[in-house]
Amino acid sequence: MDLDKLRETAAEVAARDDVKYLIGWEKGSYGYRVAPAFAEDADGTADMIFSPLCTANLATYLTLVEKLPLPRGQEPDNRKVALMVKGCDSRAVAQLLVEKGIHRDEVVVIGCPCPGMVDPALLSEKYPETEEIAELKWSDDGFIIVRNGEETAVPREELLAEKCRLCRYPNPVVSDIMLDEPVESWEPAEDEEVTEIEGKEVEGRWDYWQQEFSNCIRCYSCRNVCPLCYCQDCILDRINPSWVFRSVNFSENTAFNIARAFHLAGRCIECGECERVCPANIPLGKINRKLAREVRDKYGFEPGLDPESEPFQASYKPDDPEDFIL
Amino acid sequence: MSANNEPNIVAFLCNWCSYAGADLAGTSRMQYPSNINVIRVMCTGRVNPLYVVNALQQGADGVLVSGCHPGDCHYMEGNYFARRRLGMLKDLLEYVGVDPRRFHMSWVSASEGHKWKEVVEKTVEDAREAGPFEGFRRRQIDW
Amino acid sequence: MSAMLLNKEKWPDFVEKLAGKTIWAPQGEEAEMRFAPVTEGEAPALEYGNTRVPPKQAVFPQTETMFRFQLGGEELEIPKLEEEAVLLGVRPCDARSMAIVDNLFSWDENDPYYFKHRELLTLVGLTCTEPGLNCFCTSVGGGPASKEGLDLLMTDLGDQYLLEAITEKGEALLKAAGEVLEDAGDEQIKEKERLTEEAAANIKRNVNPDGIPEGLPGLWEDPLWQRVSASCLGCGTCTYLCPTCHCFDIQDEVEGFSARRCRTWDSCMFNEYTMHTSGHNPRPSRRERTRNRINHKYSYYVDKFDVIACVGCGRCINLCPVNIDIVDILRQVKEAL
Repeated sequence: MDLDKLRETAAEVAARDDVKYLIGWEKGSYGYRVAPAFAEDADGTADMIFSPLCTANLATYLTLVEKLPLPRGQEPDNRKVALMVKGCDSRAVAQLLVEKGIHRDEVVVIGCPCPGMVDPALLSEKYPETEEIAELKWSDDGFIIVRNGEETAVPREELLAEKCRLCRYPNPVVSDIMLDEPVESWEPAEDEEVTEIEGKEVEGRWDYWQQEFSNCIRCYSCRNVCPLCYCQDCILDRINPSWVFRSVNFSENTAFNIARAFHLAGRCIECGECERVCPANIPLGKINRKLAREVRDKYGFEPGLDPESEPFQASYKPDDPEDFIL
Repeated sequence: MSANNEPNIVAFLCNWCSYAGADLAGTSRMQYPSNINVIRVMCTGRVNPLYVVNALQQGADGVLVSGCHPGDCHYMEGNYFARRRLGMLKDLLEYVGVDPRRFHMSWVSASEGHKWKEVVEKTVEDAREAGPFEGFRRRQIDW
Repeated sequence: MSAMLLNKEKWPDFVEKLAGKTIWAPQGEEAEMRFAPVTEGEAPALEYGNTRVPPKQAVFPQTETMFRFQLGGEELEIPKLEEEAVLLGVRPCDARSMAIVDNLFSWDENDPYYFKHRELLTLVGLTCTEPGLNCFCTSVGGGPASKEGLDLLMTDLGDQYLLEAITEKGEALLKAAGEVLEDAGDEQIKEKERLTEEAAANIKRNVNPDGIPEGLPGLWEDPLWQRVSASCLGCGTCTYLCPTCHCFDIQDEVEGFSARRCRTWDSCMFNEYTMHTSGHNPRPSRRERTRNRINHKYSYYVDKFDVIACVGCGRCINLCPVNIDIVDILRQVKEAL
């Protein structure tokens, strides 16, 4: 991707009168980190980047920003929010449009066709992070790590994030401005991780997930980072009735994880953010992808593709499968 | 599971069909297992999946959700939504390792007292086979 | 206080001498490593950087039952804590955090739960010889071999550990170990000092906190808070994984007729944390919450207890999903002063 063109476009959009601010990515404070950047005017876009490290899904910020009560007489700032999206992020935007979480005229979507992100954990495991700010670039058949002026070429397979291996929509499905030519989609890999768990006996699956869930510290990062978890009043925070207790043990952790995953059934767009941010390394993607697989195979439905479609759980077909019913 | 090793089943029945069906089974003096604890709801469409999870957490060995046949819903389409939602829940529970025999869904109309008897027998039998469900109980753990 | 040597071959024997106490040690795979009570009989290995989840669990469990009761009953059952515990291989920064949090829990009244755990716990530290990428303990008053909060400090000298008792509890541990240990000489102590200095020199990140505690109140409405909090997700990772964060929530959990009152960790980064019943929220957005987090650690705590409530372990920097970097924020604060 041509960074000059990206910055030029970003500056143009950020300078528009009807745009409140633009959300993009910029280099972080050290190592491989990339931080979301907020630009209120053209100046703020000078350092924006799009690299294989831009895993953060910026669509989260569309619903995260608090609408604070205004002093009497003051008008709300109803200008648009511009944001950069990868393929998966754009599906989050589309799904938000489906659910009317946002309206189309509230956002300016800048599409970044995405050749695939690296897995940050894998990257720092294989090429340890240092305090020097490092850069990553795409090459024809992989990634190039630039550290201290030295370039290391790495094959794509070695560092590609799991979610990108399985990605079917690398190009934004919703956009106002496209920054580049669409990339060629690749053949999505078989989701072997999910198949492996499916293949286990019931007890084996229970043991596996108990092992994982027992690590959960219930920080709710997975919920907060999720672009589609945007309820003002989350059922998990409610005290009366208290569906899931706040105490941390097998039972509550499992209930919490079931509730979280279920609320995303037919909505999860597989951006993998929950798994990335989990401080306890719980493979949340394996649950989300399982549900996405069921929704796709059994109901022929894929969320976040068509902003005009009906939400999965708020619609039905008379001939939905019912082989599980007694 | 209670002291006599009988499974404990929580059943969510819709007011218009299944509850009436169960009533019919009763008034017709049909014999069926008494392990069922019925909770009447207005429609299966209002059965929050967390009801099921919560029941399992609070000591149920099996959960049954029963409503009107497709097309017969008193609210026109509540059971269609429930079918989608609880179908997904069943897949999810199975995937995290909850025995599929612990959660069932059925359509029982007001006139199907006999079917109700069969459904209950099947649910109780399945829960009995699956055994007591202690792994998920709240008070099992450091209460 | 005495210094002893422990041959690494005798490590299992030393651990055996701790029998009767719950041993907390770092466990699990590299990425998910955390302190947990050792279940199997093996002596825990201590080769690790630092755990993701801090060992505050040992004195401030994430869920603590305060008492149990029956609905309609009149009796309260208060859980008894009797078992002694040893926190094995805790990093000096984490041990220091406990010394810092002690101030809070003994502020006006001693918190019986916290101090019961604290009383029963012996902290066996391990000198940090390979500081992590985001460690900045030396900037906030700690160090790779800081003894604050510890009862006993171990230093890895290659084939052997140097054990230095710091408190009576530590001394008692050494005495109990008895013949497993050998006397240490000046040589080993010098070697330890050399290692410590080397480690301190390897700490790359630093910030000079001078002036920050006094200056922060003046920056209340500074635009910097909007800037640094814009990307905050409001997840609790930074506070849940902070060794000095100590906020808790108290809830009654009722099932059937039995109930318990328990306290669980809470986080000032959550919306509901300051939410009033009326619906008013004095910290309505992430800007105020981020400001509070920094102010609490670097200003309020200093006012009250004369110590910065940050030990520089770097966890919040390592694990923030959007690269909110406390060292960077402090740098910006200093610029704005």
